[in-house]
Amino acid sequence: MAGSASATAAQVAPKTAAHKPASRTPAPQTNFAPWKDPAKSPIVRFENVTKRFGDFVAIKNCTLDIYEREFFALLGPSGCGKSTLLRMLAGFEKPTDGRIFVGGKDITDLAPYERTDVNMMFQSYALFPHMTVERNIGFGLRQDGMAKGDIEARVAEAMALLELEKFAHRKPHQLSGGQQQRVALARAIAKKPRIMLLDEPLGALDKRLRQQAQFELMRIQETTGTTFIIVTHDQEEAMTVASRIAVMNHGELVHIATPGDIYEFPGSRYVAQFIGDVNVFEGKVTAIHDGTVDIEWPSGQGQFAATAIDGLSPGQQVWLAMRPEKLRISLAKPTTTCNTIPGKVIDVGYLGSISHYHVRVASGQTVTALRANSAQTVEQNIKWDDDVWLEWPHDVGMILTK
Amino acid sequence: MRRWYVIGAPYLWLLLFFLVPFFIVFKISLSDIATAIPPYTPTLELAAGWDGIKTFLSQLDTENYTFIASDPLYVDAYWSSVQIAGIATFITLLVAYPIAYGMARAPKDWQATLMMLVILPFWTSFLIRVYAWMGILKKEGLLNLFLMNMGLINEPLTILNTTTAVYIGIVYSYLPFMILPLYSSLEKIKPSLIEAAEDLGSPPWKAFWQITFPLSLPGIFAGCLLVFIPAVGEFVIPDLLGGSDTLMIGKTLWSEFFNNRDWPVSSAVAVVLLFVLILPIVLFQRMQQRQQEAGT
Repeated sequence: MAGSASATAAQVAPKTAAHKPASRTPAPQTNFAPWKDPAKSPIVRFENVTKRFGDFVAIKNCTLDIYEREFFALLGPSGCGKSTLLRMLAGFEKPTDGRIFVGGKDITDLAPYERTDVNMMFQSYALFPHMTVERNIGFGLRQDGMAKGDIEARVAEAMALLELEKFAHRKPHQLSGGQQQRVALARAIAKKPRIMLLDEPLGALDKRLRQQAQFELMRIQETTGTTFIIVTHDQEEAMTVASRIAVMNHGELVHIATPGDIYEFPGSRYVAQFIGDVNVFEGKVTAIHDGTVDIEWPSGQGQFAATAIDGLSPGQQVWLAMRPEKLRISLAKPTTTCNTIPGKVIDVGYLGSISHYHVRVASGQTVTALRANSAQTVEQNIKWDDDVWLEWPHDVGMILTK
Repeated sequence: MRRWYVIGAPYLWLLLFFLVPFFIVFKISLSDIATAIPPYTPTLELAAGWDGIKTFLSQLDTENYTFIASDPLYVDAYWSSVQIAGIATFITLLVAYPIAYGMARAPKDWQATLMMLVILPFWTSFLIRVYAWMGILKKEGLLNLFLMNMGLINEPLTILNTTTAVYIGIVYSYLPFMILPLYSSLEKIKPSLIEAAEDLGSPPWKAFWQITFPLSLPGIFAGCLLVFIPAVGEFVIPDLLGGSDTLMIGKTLWSEFFNNRDWPVSSAVAVVLLFVLILPIVLFQRMQQRQQEAGT
């Protein structure tokens, strides 16, 4: 499994801890990490699930455990199978092979309306256009034959949770996109499912509204204590809301980890490049020391040192993934013992809070460095065509073998 | 100025081909039968000037309308037309709904072909298709031959020249007018709505009645009116397929006009028919308007 790469890094860390900064080990995500607790049983389990549509394999032998109260994100480019996985859990698609369990019970053969533990919020919201907001939210409760008074109370509760009381008697077409999104959420949450499925829930909102809605989703997930599974192609959204992220590609789970781990220890170039910006340097292992390795640039411009991972051997081709904010850019040649590399600035992107520098190094590769504009000045001391030096300590990059 | 041309064109059309003929028919309906050419009196003598118009107007009366209202033949004919058209419309709806539903749920690249098949009968003349039904329904026709050869019946059934044949004729002829609006409203219903209903605990058949059916009401309404309105005044189908006991206003009007040569009474029958149909037409218009306002 691809996931083992970051786990390996984490396990290696204590052995060589002597000269390593503490930050090298993945920071524990507060105390909530049921996936590390062997005593916990998952609330959702996909067991060797495969889904084929004719010749097309949408999901390849996927095994996945999701735990109670998690906010789990399925992240990947469009067509990677993340929606199919979610729709199989809701019951709209049947796995070609494998079983799906919810709370230990095999639900693979149940129809969608029989899956009472699971409710879904649809990508296009799928609000019933001929019903008012109130009737939409109460729809699921009426199906269960709940008493009228109880339905009213539950609907009122859901409307209060999402601040929809004002719109109770409006029809969906009289609402804005953000309001419709909240009605769709309220309708699913009113059923009080154990597991909420969200299929690109914020995809139709503009950026500002989306950020607001992300925090609202987190608030609701925390207040209701429901397990949320969200499908998204937006890595920032996944990073913001999720307790764990599963990165998918071509129907396979490439990597499953917390947002912090996935960012700092991506495990493969695909994951590194999918989550955030990254510089990837290619090189060959020349020597392995205690906890560090020397890596040679392919074009023979010297060497750089990096923290070792298990299973490296001299001569092996590796990649170093380096986040732009971890590179230091300066005009003068640094005097530190860090890795350094000269280059020429070819582009400066000023974003206000930070600036991006695109630096061409001798190999011809363009490297991105990021600097916070902490001083209050509009004068940029590093400009186009400046000769600069990039430096980084050996312990901020991640060695990847695939 | 240009705008007025654009708006004026349809109004001019309506004026020339609806309002003017309507007033001519209305005028005839207020006159009396006469053995003359044209076979009614008074006729408008524009040469006599203002006095001519005045004498003309003074000779008009609503006698024909009182006659229609008092003669049960006409009242029965109206009532039976509305009844036959109503029942036929309902049967058409029952036949058309599953077809339209199947079309809307068919794979996208099939839908255009299915639509073609639905409108294919229009390539043959309506009259010829009704004649064809005579060949199918008559005593020694295809249907009876088939049923007898299958051993289902011993005696040929009498279908032609009964009201049953009229129902068959109307349902067959107007089926596309029902299918098309139904299809267009069913096709607009997003499959995710049905999925959402099922996800919220509604079994498929309940989801149909709670979501699909109410959302297809505009199509049902449009289809029913498109069938009902022409079916009420239908003449060809009851004349060719119906029997002597099939009473429909279109036939009554025809025989009044051609057999009795009573233009004034038949004009009055036509005007009353128009008013019978105005109510559903107005309903149809309002429904369409509401739909547009809902912005669907």
